[in-house]
Amino acid sequence: MPLSEDEKSELVAYLDGELDDAATQAVEAKVATNPDARAELDALKQTWGMLDYLPKASPSPNFTNRTMERLSLEKVNAAKTQPMPGAPVPWRVGAIWTAAVLVASVGGYLATTHFWPASPTSDPIAPDSDLPIVQHLRLLEKWRQYENADDIKFVEKLTDPDLFGEDPT
Amino acid sequence: MALTGETSTQLALRDPDIRLMLRVRDDDAEAFAELVELYHHRLVTVMHHLVGNAEEAEDLAQEVFLRVYRGRKKYHPKAKFSTWLYTIANNLALNILRTRQRKPTIPLNVRDSGPLGPRPAEQLVLDRHAQPEDRIQQQELAAVVKQALETLNERQRIAVVLNKFEDMNYAEIAEVMGLTTKAVKSLLSRARDNLRVVLQDYIHMNEPGQERKDEG
Repeated sequence: MPLSEDEKSELVAYLDGELDDAATQAVEAKVATNPDARAELDALKQTWGMLDYLPKASPSPNFTNRTMERLSLEKVNAAKTQPMPGAPVPWRVGAIWTAAVLVASVGGYLATTHFWPASPTSDPIAPDSDLPIVQHLRLLEKWRQYENADDIKFVEKLTDPDLFGEDPT
Repeated sequence: MALTGETSTQLALRDPDIRLMLRVRDDDAEAFAELVELYHHRLVTVMHHLVGNAEEAEDLAQEVFLRVYRGRKKYHPKAKFSTWLYTIANNLALNILRTRQRKPTIPLNVRDSGPLGPRPAEQLVLDRHAQPEDRIQQQELAAVVKQALETLNERQRIAVVLNKFEDMNYAEIAEVMGLTTKAVKSLLSRARDNLRVVLQDYIHMNEPGQERKDEG
């Protein structure tokens, strides 16, 4: 009958010396009476022993020196990237420059508009201020005559030829 | 392993490595060099078994030591120094193994690649039928065991390596890996059962008559 996961776990813990006295005795009793448990225990023990065949690591003899060199290099790099005491922080310098440019732009604009206000004649595409006079030139030329008339109907009647025809006499 | 009820001073008096690390905390580079010298062989061995490549293992071990130095100011002796060291190593190794799992870099034979190719554990089963007694020499057996270890998931592999090569007990492994002792027991049980299944047909080569010649 195959062993359960818990039974296998107990066998492994037994091999690793991780069981208390009572559990150790229980495993030993099972192994003594159960051939499957005995075979499993042997197989686990031998498999564990096979890990000794793994190739042995042999670190290079200058491992410690190389590690210390790498540490020194790291310290030098850290010192390079660290700002000098009292030196301005890079982001702060950038912020100061941005603020200076902004103040100069706004100040310049205000000064220009204050001391040199925009002249209407200087604008080449500004509307011609003489245009209304030209359009009503005829009216203005006869303005002195029209001043004596009370209304426009009277003026229109003056153009009737019957009123100012030739004198019969 | 966490040593409760002991003050830092008591721990430092008992563990010379903690005394060294406390000097490192005070920027003593010489003490750091001593720690590297003391632990580098063990750490490179552990990393080598985890990543399977000697050169990469050295680079990773070096990175672990540098992390120890960078984190020196945060060091408080609550456990053995080696527990702290291997906790850092565990975190680094887990990242590397998980990244590798997402982006495998090991070149495969064309016939083995693709979704239909055999996985490492399946390949071992195929190799078994080719009369391993005649074909596999000791070096090849080492390769088989290495391949078997690679069939374990990253947590199982780390637990096995710490247990086998660092001789850590379950409580120490639990501390390093951030698990409960019960979880470690279960992890190691599954790992050893997996290894047993994969290496089943090679076990006879590890019998007394076949002991390694370079041992002893």
